[in-house]
Parts: sequence; structure tokens; C-alpha cells
Amino acid sequence: MHQENIHNYLRSYFLANDCRILHEKPGLLDVQLTIELDKELMNRPFYWHYLEKTGGTPRPMTLTLITNQTIEEKGEFVHFGAPRLHQIFSSTKKLASSIRLYEDVQTNQQQQYPLHPWLCLNIKISYQCDRKKHRLLSLGLHLVSGAVVDDFHNLLLKKSLTPKIPDYAFTVTPIIKPESGLKRLESVVEMLLTKEDVQWAEEARVRWASDQHLLDQFYEGNTNDQRYEVEKEALRKQYEPIITAEIINGGIFHLVPGIESQPYPT
Amino acid sequence: MRTELQFDQEWTNNFLKQIEEDGPWANWELFKLAIEAEQHRAIPSFKGLQAPTYLPDLTPHPYQLEAARRVVEEMNGKAILADEVGLGKTIEAGLIIKEYMIRGLVKKVLILVPASLVSQWAIELNTKFYIPAVVQRKSYVWDQCDVVVSSIDTAKREPHRSIVYEQHYDMVIIDEAHRLKNNRTKNYEFVQHLPKKFCLLLTATPVQNRLDEVFNLVSLLKPGHLGSFENFEKDYKGKEKNAEDEERLRTLIQKVMVRNRREDTGMDWPERIVQTVPITFSPEEEDLYRSVEALKKEPISTRSQFSIITLLREICSSREAAYMTLKKMLEKDSLDEVTQTFIHSLIKKIEGVPTNSKAQKALELIQSIEGKVIIFTEYRATQLYLQWFLKEHGITSVPFRGGFKRGKKDWMRELFKNHAKVLIATEAGGEGINLQFCQHVINYDLPWNPMRIEQRIGRIHRLGQEGDVHIYNFATKHTVEEHILTLLYEKIQLFESVIGQLDEILTRLGMRDIEKHISDILLHSESEGEIKIKMDNIKELINYQKEDSDASRKYS
Repeated sequence: MHQENIHNYLRSYFLANDCRILHEKPGLLDVQLTIELDKELMNRPFYWHYLEKTGGTPRPMTLTLITNQTIEEKGEFVHFGAPRLHQIFSSTKKLASSIRLYEDVQTNQQQQYPLHPWLCLNIKISYQCDRKKHRLLSLGLHLVSGAVVDDFHNLLLKKSLTPKIPDYAFTVTPIIKPESGLKRLESVVEMLLTKEDVQWAEEARVRWASDQHLLDQFYEGNTNDQRYEVEKEALRKQYEPIITAEIINGGIFHLVPGIESQPYPT
Repeated sequence: MRTELQFDQEWTNNFLKQIEEDGPWANWELFKLAIEAEQHRAIPSFKGLQAPTYLPDLTPHPYQLEAARRVVEEMNGKAILADEVGLGKTIEAGLIIKEYMIRGLVKKVLILVPASLVSQWAIELNTKFYIPAVVQRKSYVWDQCDVVVSSIDTAKREPHRSIVYEQHYDMVIIDEAHRLKNNRTKNYEFVQHLPKKFCLLLTATPVQNRLDEVFNLVSLLKPGHLGSFENFEKDYKGKEKNAEDEERLRTLIQKVMVRNRREDTGMDWPERIVQTVPITFSPEEEDLYRSVEALKKEPISTRSQFSIITLLREICSSREAAYMTLKKMLEKDSLDEVTQTFIHSLIKKIEGVPTNSKAQKALELIQSIEGKVIIFTEYRATQLYLQWFLKEHGITSVPFRGGFKRGKKDWMRELFKNHAKVLIATEAGGEGINLQFCQHVINYDLPWNPMRIEQRIGRIHRLGQEGDVHIYNFATKHTVEEHILTLLYEKIQLFESVIGQLDEILTRLGMRDIEKHISDILLHSESEGEIKIKMDNIKELINYQKEDSDASRKYS
């Protein structure tokens, strides 16, 4: 992540959370936090507790974030490894866990148009043994036909979306309920996984077995030893291949029909 | 075999609840940002190191990055980091911890280090690696903090011990791990019972003594890697050394050990400038020394009451050091009259010694040096004397001992750095303190284990040292000191040579216990000539092996 990207990310984050930008220039961002964001980021529960008890005037802090180290002004230097950035990443995820949006179509005629419901999940798959890697998925399920579309988030980025239903739009009732939609997407993920190369997991099991074999030799039948159990369990935790699907976020999107005709090959 | 998928149920439950309650819904900008953040944080490959991109202010050396990569990719996160002193093992360890944390494989880390290094570790991990390491000071720290730094002596004691065992550590790091070479100690047993999913053992001297020590260290990390204890004994000990077996053992150890040597790093290191400073006894000191030396010729009944070599070494250091030993002897009840009389006569001679020639020389040297100076001595009594002596001459000094509490050590280091000219350390204080802001070391008396010399010099000849390092070896003429220094250390070029190599050589020669070896020579030789010949013998052996090892390095 380049420093300019970080700058832009931070600005978008604060604006999306209704903070006022007091001063901005390339590499520097001076932000007036809202009460909510002060509580979210500044880690001073005693102050807020005290204030609520005494009924004083809240004074949320300002934050000066610097993304260009050559700037000599006072502030917090934010780079890709900075705890502040990762705190903000996590905060973003927490504050944007689920959503409902409608596609906004500019029409000249005062003509009514239908919107179809989609369930979208943005998923982070983790492949874990003694090593770890990720794969990101964005899946959309058409809650009318059951069609599944991959790379759904990128489709959404091209659309104009609004939290309130547009005046001339009306929604089509879903045939698939959200709950079974979630189940369907879960099976889609499982199906995708079966098509993947499993060599990494096999190799991890070989490493595991080899270390377990050494351990057995070391304790030579003395497997009642408590230390043997501790080591054995540690080996399991070290090597056992596990795949987890964490949902970054997701939601219901009401969209103009058409996308479902190019479904993901399942 | 199929790998089970664990699907995020928590999110789905929350989501269904929100649908039921019709919100609240997030805003689209934040929603997009959350995905953008994950795109930056996701790691597409098992291979490679992520840590460097998270640490823009840290510029690790290529050999450090390579060490971290090997530990993660080839050793599966269990390794002995055995770089020579001063090459930055902490940086390698930090890179590895960071890598696992970034990948989400490690959350809870236990770092066990000598008490004197606890705060330094915590500071380095926080400032260089943004790892929120916390020093264990209160017992709630164990379960409330993810990354805890503690001394092993604290952790192994109740009530801490039980709490530590209840934690599920993903990673255990042990610094100065050569202290765990004996598998019958409480420390060893404590560490053995810790679950070690990932584990790093840090030591600069992995094979300080014998083969079974290597075995113990490796077995702590990866039990069975060198076989069971019985098999190991059978295969490698007792029987004649066999090149094939040795090669096999070496290969096995290399699978779990990273060891960088200065010469392999391809970097420009500050020079070591070594200088021998000969000391001449005053007539009174000389007389005292010779009286003790003469004990060698006394009948065994008297002779055996004294540890003659120890006393001789002490006299070379300070009369105070010798006096302490003699005083302790007098406290024993079993002394016969002859011995008692002898001791009293020696004490009388000690009282008659007017000056300390060595201290005088040290003073002159310190006054001629512009920067800071560290003096190493083996004796507490000498340490106290020197502090007094230097103060008499208007030189501020700070004492340093291994027995100091953690806070006191840090405080002394700071005092030295900011306010004092001299730091006087006893042997036990040599380990685990970094003093790279100082360029001058006086070896006031010499330890007889060459590895300990390296530990001393390593305190200042390490990463971060910008100037050349000056080493002054004090040796009193015509004494045991001169023997050890000029007959052995200088001849094998101990101070200039690479210690890892020497370590290897001594192991190969079966001379790990070189201290006892030398002691025997000095004690049982009839004449100076005999001492010379025997010392020459050791020297030849070592140098022969060294050439051998140099040659084999060239071809490897």
C-alpha cells in the first residue's frame, strides 16, 4: 500500500464517519474527530465515563496524521505497518459489517422499474497449517433465480447505489430467503474449494506425521508422560490443515435485472 | 484427505438479526473501504516474508531476512537462532514473530529472557516491530496481554507457573538458551512442559560444552530430532569418533539451526584492535605471589587445603580478592595449625602490599582515553576496590553485576551512558547487556574459557557499533596470566579470530573443558619450561585444526 493510498484511505474513512477535515495537504491530514470516533479510536474510556457522570461539554480530540515522513509538522506517522492504520482497518470492518442498497437509475420518463434482490458476501478464505495464505471472494446470489455471480463487488462498484429506494423503483419479492441464501453460498464456497489444489494440506500432513514420528521415538512407548501429550497437541496446532471462511461483510442489494444471465459456472 | 471448512457463523447470525430488525445498515463508502483494507491485508502466498513491508523504518541485513525466511519456510517455525554475538538475533526473532502475527498464525507469545534484558526486549519489539510486548510485572499481565516478556526465573515460580501453563501460547521465545543445556534443571523442566507450537531458542554459544548439551537443546525444540536419549548416547558418545556419524549429526543440527558468522555476512565490521598491556608487580606483590606459588612444593596435606591456582589468579587481580578467599578459609573449623599459620602469614603479606600495580596502570590508561571504558574483572572484591580507587582519582564509575535486578541493570546502563566514564562489570554481568556506545574494553583479568572472552567483547562489538573496538588485555609478567595470554590466547589469535570457529575446534578436540586443562598444566608442571611445552602443545593442536577448518570452509 503506497503512502498516497494510505492518505486517501484515511480521508475517506474520516469523511465516511462524518468527521471534519481541518487541514489537508499532500502527506498530511488534520481531522476533528466526532464523539463516536474519539471513543472508537482514542482509547480513553475514563475520560468519556467521567464526562458522562459530570455532564461536562465533550471535547473530542483532533488527530494529525502524516503519511509523508519528510513533512516536519507534528503528527503521527502512518505507514502500512503502523498500529494506527490497522486499528482503522479493523474499525472500518466493524462499522461496515452489513448493508442494504438500491440501484439508482436516472430515468427521464416517470416510469416505474423493478429491482431484483441479491445477497452479497465478501469472504476471506484462510488456508492454514504451519503457514497461512488467503483468498478473497466476492459472491452474489440472485435471490430470485438462484444464480451465483463471482467478483460481485467489482460489478457493484460500477453502479450508482443509494440507501433509500429510488422514487420510481419497486422491489421484486425474493423467492430464496436470506437464511437459505446464506446456506447456498456456503455450499458454493465448499464447491469452489473442492476444485482447488490440496497439495499444501497434504504436505503439511506429511510434515506433521514426520514430527509426530520423531516424538513417538523420543518417548519410546512412554506415552503416559504428560510432556508427550503437551507436545503432541502442540504439533496438531502447528500443522493441522484448516480452512476458514471469514465474512468481511455482506448485504442485500436491489439491482436492475440483467447480471443474473451471466452466472458463475457452478 | 479433505480439509474441513469452518464457515463464519457469527456474522451470519448477526446479519439475519439485522434483516429482521431492518438495520442498522452501514454506509457504502465504509463498506467499500472495509473490502479495500482486506485486499491490502490478504496474503496470497504461503511463501515469502510480509514483515518487511510492515516495517518501513527497519532495514534488516540480507542475512537476517534470509534467516527469518528459512525459519518460516524450511524449519516450520521451530529453530535455534545461533548467530555469533552481536549479529542481531533479536532482529531475526522480531522478524519471525512479526511474520507469524501478520499472517494470523500467532497471537499469544511468551518471551523468556535474562532479567537484565527484559525491558530491552520489550522496547525493541515495540519500537522496531510495532509488536505490543509487555513486561511482566503484575500477574494479570499473563492472561490480559498477548505478548509478554519475562525472566525465566519469574515465570517458573508459583503463582506464575500455573498461570503460564494455563495460557495457550502460539509461540515461545527463549533468549540466552544455552542456559538450558542441562536437562536436570528446574528451568529445563519448566520449558519442557510448555506447549511449543512455534519456538525460537536464541544463543550465541550453542555448543559451549558437550554433545549431550546440544542434544538437550535440540530435544527441547523438537523432541526426537536427534533420536531418544539412549540412542543418542549409543550413536555418538563413548565410541571412537567417526567422520560419517559426525557429518550425519551436523546435518541434523543444521536442519534446526541458523548460524551466521561475522565473516559470512559480507559486511564491513568495525575493527578489533587488540593490545596487550604488561604489568610489573611491585616487590611486595611479587613476594606475595611467589609465596603462594611455593605452596605447590609443600606436602600434599598442606597443599591440598589451598586452591593454589585460584589464589594466584586473585593476587594478579587485587590483594582484596585474595584476602576474601583467605578469610573464608580461616572460617573453616577443620584447619590444622600449619595451614592456619600459613594463611596468617599470607594475610600479613597482603597487608604489606602498598599499591596495586595493575590498578595504577588501568588508571593511566583510562586517563589517556577520551571515550568510555568498560573494565571486566572476575572478582567482586576487585570490582569494589577499583570503584573506590578510581573515585579517589576523580573518575566516576558504575558497577555492574549479573545479580542486579532488572531495573537496576537498566538504570546502571543509563548512568554509564549519560553520566559515568567507566563501567566495572564482573563476569556474570557480561551477558545480556548491550553497550555499543562504548569502544574500549579492559580485560582486567582474563577468564580461562575463551567463549567468555567473546561474550565480553560481544557486548560492544555488535550491530550499531560505529567506531573501531579497542581491547586491552592486562597480564602480569611472569604469572599465570602471562601464561594464559601470551602462551595460548595470543598464539591461537583468540582475539582476532572468529569465535564460532574456535568453538567448533574445541568441540572437535574434545577440549570443551579447556579451563580445567590449563589449570592442570599450570598446577602440575615442574618448571616454566614444562608449562611452555605443554601450552605449545595445545596451541599446535588448535592451530592445526584451525587450518584444517579454514581449508574445509574454502571448499564448502
